[in-house]
Amino acid sequence: MEKAPPPSSPPRLGRYILRKIYDDNIYHEIEGDLREIFLERVETRNKTYASFQYMIDVLLSTRNYYLRRRKKVIQKNSTAMLKNYFKITLRTISKNKVYSALNIMGLAVGISAFIFILQYVSYENSYDKFHSNHEDLYRVRYKVYHGEDLNIDCAAAVPRVGPFMKEKMPEVVDYARAFPMSGVMAKDNNKFRENRIQVADPSFLKIFDFPLLHGDVENVLNKPNQVVLSESMARKYFGRTDVVGEEITCHSWLGSNLEITGVAMDVPNNSHIKFDFIISYETLNNQTTNDEGRVASEVEWGWYDFNSYVLLEPGTDPVAFDKKFAEVLYEERGKEFEERGRRAEFPLQSITDIHLYSNLLQESEPEEQGDGEAVFFLTIVAFFILIIAWVNYINLSTARSVERAKEVGVRKTMGAYRKQLIYQFLTEAIVLNFIALVIGLLIVIVGIRSFNQLTDSLLSIDFLKNSQFWLVAGGVFLAGSTLSGLYPAFVLSSFKPSSVLKGKFSGNNAGALLRKGLVVFQFAASVSLITGTFIVSQQLAHMKNVTLGFEMANTMVIKGPAVFGADSLYLSKFEAFRNDLLKNKEIESMTAGSSVPGAEIFWTNGIKRNEDGDDQWKTIYIAGIDYEYFPTFDIEILAGRNYSKSHSTDTGAVILNKAAVEFLNYESPEAAINQKVRFWGQPKTIIGVVDDYKQMSAKTAVSPIVFPLSEGERNYFTLRLKTDNYQETFDLSESTYQSFFPGNPFDYFLLDDFFNRQYNNEQTFSSVFTLFALFGIVVACLGLFGLSSFSALQRTKEIGIRKTLGANTSSILYILTKEFIILIGIANVIAWPIIYLVMNGWLDNFATRISIGIPVFIISGLLVILVALVTVGFKTLRTAKSNPIEALRYE
Amino acid sequence: MKGVNLGEFEELVLLTVASLRTDAYAVSVKAYITETTGRVVNISAIHSGLYRLEDKGYLTSEFGGSTNKRGGKQKRYFQVTSAGFAALQQSKDIKQYLWKNIPQLSFHTA
Repeated sequence: MEKAPPPSSPPRLGRYILRKIYDDNIYHEIEGDLREIFLERVETRNKTYASFQYMIDVLLSTRNYYLRRRKKVIQKNSTAMLKNYFKITLRTISKNKVYSALNIMGLAVGISAFIFILQYVSYENSYDKFHSNHEDLYRVRYKVYHGEDLNIDCAAAVPRVGPFMKEKMPEVVDYARAFPMSGVMAKDNNKFRENRIQVADPSFLKIFDFPLLHGDVENVLNKPNQVVLSESMARKYFGRTDVVGEEITCHSWLGSNLEITGVAMDVPNNSHIKFDFIISYETLNNQTTNDEGRVASEVEWGWYDFNSYVLLEPGTDPVAFDKKFAEVLYEERGKEFEERGRRAEFPLQSITDIHLYSNLLQESEPEEQGDGEAVFFLTIVAFFILIIAWVNYINLSTARSVERAKEVGVRKTMGAYRKQLIYQFLTEAIVLNFIALVIGLLIVIVGIRSFNQLTDSLLSIDFLKNSQFWLVAGGVFLAGSTLSGLYPAFVLSSFKPSSVLKGKFSGNNAGALLRKGLVVFQFAASVSLITGTFIVSQQLAHMKNVTLGFEMANTMVIKGPAVFGADSLYLSKFEAFRNDLLKNKEIESMTAGSSVPGAEIFWTNGIKRNEDGDDQWKTIYIAGIDYEYFPTFDIEILAGRNYSKSHSTDTGAVILNKAAVEFLNYESPEAAINQKVRFWGQPKTIIGVVDDYKQMSAKTAVSPIVFPLSEGERNYFTLRLKTDNYQETFDLSESTYQSFFPGNPFDYFLLDDFFNRQYNNEQTFSSVFTLFALFGIVVACLGLFGLSSFSALQRTKEIGIRKTLGANTSSILYILTKEFIILIGIANVIAWPIIYLVMNGWLDNFATRISIGIPVFIISGLLVILVALVTVGFKTLRTAKSNPIEALRYE
Repeated sequence: MKGVNLGEFEELVLLTVASLRTDAYAVSVKAYITETTGRVVNISAIHSGLYRLEDKGYLTSEFGGSTNKRGGKQKRYFQVTSAGFAALQQSKDIKQYLWKNIPQLSFHTA
C-alpha cells in the first residue's frame, strides 16, 4: 500500500485528553471521527480554527466519560486477601520455626539495643533543657592568659563579672552567681555534712526553673542569713516540708544561724548544677566585707569560685556578645592587663552545652560531666545494631528464596499479580517487625533495671508515656518493615513461574552477591564494636594502673571537723587527737591537709620567682600540708627534703611539685632547691621538690602545685592503715573522733574508691559500649547461623556426592565454612582502618593514653572468626557428618 | 411501555441513521442532521446518542473501512434494528393519534 503524505494532525493534548475520556474499546473510532471533522475544517477554514474546534469537541466529550466504559476489575476482596496474607505469614513463621525465631530474635535484640541507647543518649542530651529560658541562658567562663599561654580555663568566674556585664551590656536581662561550698548543717541533734550548698543571688531562682514548694520567689534570698533548702533536705532535718520560718545552723566559715525562707523542689538529675541548700548571697557579703567597707565577693576580679550565669535577651548571638564584651572589658581593665602581662576573658557557654561538651576546671558536678563524643559514638552504634538486624532479615529472607520460589510460581500461575505478591511479602515483613518490636519493648522493660545497674544510669520506663518515643518507635517499625521487606519482596515476586516450576531455578547470583556484601558489612560493624570495646577497656585499665605516684591502698580519709570551739585551741586539740589515734597499732601514720589526691583543688594564688618582675605573676594551686603529708601518701621527694620540725625556719619555706618547677622555668628539681619564690607576699625558699603524683585522674595533665607548711588544716585527715581489718579501725577512729570533736558527723571514705570515682564516666561508657558490642555480635551471629544453615541445606546434594566420592568430614566442613571465613576476613580488613582513626581520635582526649597496637586487631579479628566458626560449624557439622544416602535421596 | 420512549434528539438520530441506510456513522449523521434541520450539533452529542441507542438495542453496528483522513481509524457504521423501527413506528403512531384529536386545526390549515 502506498502511503499518502501524512495530513496535519490534531493537537496532541486533545488526543491525550480524549484517550483519558474514552475507554480503549471505543476510543479509536471516536478519535477517528473527530480527526475526520478536524481535517475537513482544516480544508474549509485553517488549522488554527480546526485545532480550536477540535479542543472544544474534546472538552465537550467529557460528558461521555461514562459511555461504554468497561468496568475495571476492582478488587473488592482486599480484606479477604489481607486476611490471607496474615494467614500465610503465620504459616510461614510456624513452618520454619528456627529461622523465624532467628529472624525475630535478631530484630528484637536489635530494636531493644536501639531503644536502650536512644534512651541513654536522649537522657544525656536532656541536661538543663528543663529551664524554660535554656536557649538564652549562658554560663560565664573564666580564662586567663599569660602572654599567649592559657593558664586557667575555669567553669567558675569571678564575683564582679556578673554585675559588670549587667551594667555594661544591654543584652543582659539578669545574672546570677552561685558559690559552691560544703559545711555541717545542724538542727537539734540532726547533724550532717552537706556538700551541695550554694551561696547564690536571689535571681538564681528566677532565671532558672527550680520551683519553690513553699516561700515566695520574690523575697526568699534577699537578706543575709536566709536559706532555701530542698524538699528532701526539709524531710531529712525536719520530717516535713513546710518549714518556712524555721531556723537551721550552718557550721562553716560562713557560720551562722540561717532562717529558712523557702523550700525548693529537689533538683532534677539532669541539671548540671545541683544544690541541697541555697544560702543568700548577702550572707557571704557580710563575711567578706573588710574594715573599709570593701566587699570582696562583689568587687573581686581574681577570685574565681563563682559560677556565674547570665540570661540574655532572646535570640542574642553569644559569639557577637563575647566580642563586644571583650572590648568593654578592655576599656575597664586593659591597663591592668598590660601591666601584669596577663589578661582575662569571659566567654559565654550555652547552659545546654555544659553537661556534654565542657571539661573545665571547677565544674559544678565533675564526676557527672558527660562526654558528647561518647554519646555521639553510641548513637552511631545504635544505628549500626539496628541496621545489622535489618540486614539479617534481608539475608534470611532472600536466602530462603529457593524455598519460596515454588510458592511464588504457583501463585503466579493461579493468577496472582506481582503487586499482590509484593504486598504479601511486605505483610510478612510488617508482621515479623511488629512481633520483634513487641519483644524488643519487653526486653527493654524487663532489662531496664539491669541496664541501669550495669551502666550506672538513671533511665526509667516512663519513656513509654512519652509520645515522642512512640513516634520514634513507629518510625523504626515502619522504616524497618519497608527497608527489610522491600528488597525481598521485589526479589521474590520477580520469579518467572515457567522457569521456577520447571525446576530450573537455583537462586540468583545478584542476590548472592548482595548477601555477601551485607554479611561483610555486618561483620565489619561487629569487628569495629569489639575492637572498640577492647580499646576502651584497655585505656580504662591503663589509666587506673598508671603510676599515680602515691599510695592509695589501705588509706582512709576522714573529713575534718567543722564544729569546734575557739580556733586558737584547735591545733593542740588536733595534736592530742592524732597522738591518741596513733596509739592504735593498726594505724601507721596520719596527716592533715587542705586536700587529698583525687579532690579538685580550688585554692589558688599568685606565685613568681622572687627575682622576676611584676609581669611574671602566675596562678598556682595550693595544698596546705603538715609534716606527715608526703610520708603518709608515700610521695617521692625528688630533690631537697620534706618539712621538718627540727628546722624552725620551715614556715618560710615551700615545697613544689615537679610541674611547678617547670611552670616557674627552673632547669631541674635540683636547680630549684634553695631558690626563692614570691608567694603570699613574702619571699620563700624552695626546700624540696616532690614527684608529679597524680593529684587528679590520669585523664588530665598534672597541674603545678605549691605545698606550703600549714599546720591546722582540717579539710581532710588521712590515715594510713596497716591492717585489712578495716571495720575495727573505723569503729575505733570514729569513737576517738567523736570524743575529740563532738557534734561533728563522722564522714570517711577510702582513698582508692574516692580517687577512682573520677573514672565513673569512662567506666560507664566502657560498660555501655561492651554491652552493645555484645548485642551487635549476637545479632550478626544469629544472621550468620541462619545463612550458613541454608547454604548447608542447599548444598546437601553436593555434599552427598562428595562424600560418596570419598570426601571426609573435615574437608567438607572446610568447603562449607571457607566462604564465610573469607567474608569475615574482608570485613576485618575494612573495619581496621576505620577503627584505628576513630579510636585514635577518642584516645587523644586523655593526657595518658595507650597507643593502639596490632595485637588488639588480631585478637578481636580472631575472636570474631572464632565466634563465626562456632556459629557456622554448629549446623554445618551436622550436614557434613550426615549419611550421603539420605542426602541423595532428598528430592 | 417504559424504556421504549424516545427522546426528541434520540428520535432525530434514529431517523437520520435510517435515512442514511448503509452510510450512517457519527460524522455523516452529524452532517445530515445539520443539512436537514439546520441544527448545529456537536459530535460528542452524536456519539452519546448513537452509543446509547445501540445499548438500548435500537441500533446495531459494524466496523467499516478506514481512510487516511481518519488517521487509519476504522468507522463504526450503524443500522437501525427492527426494535428501532418498532420504536420509531410507535412514536409516530402516538403522534398521529394525537394529531387526529385536533381535527379542526388540520382542516383550517389545509
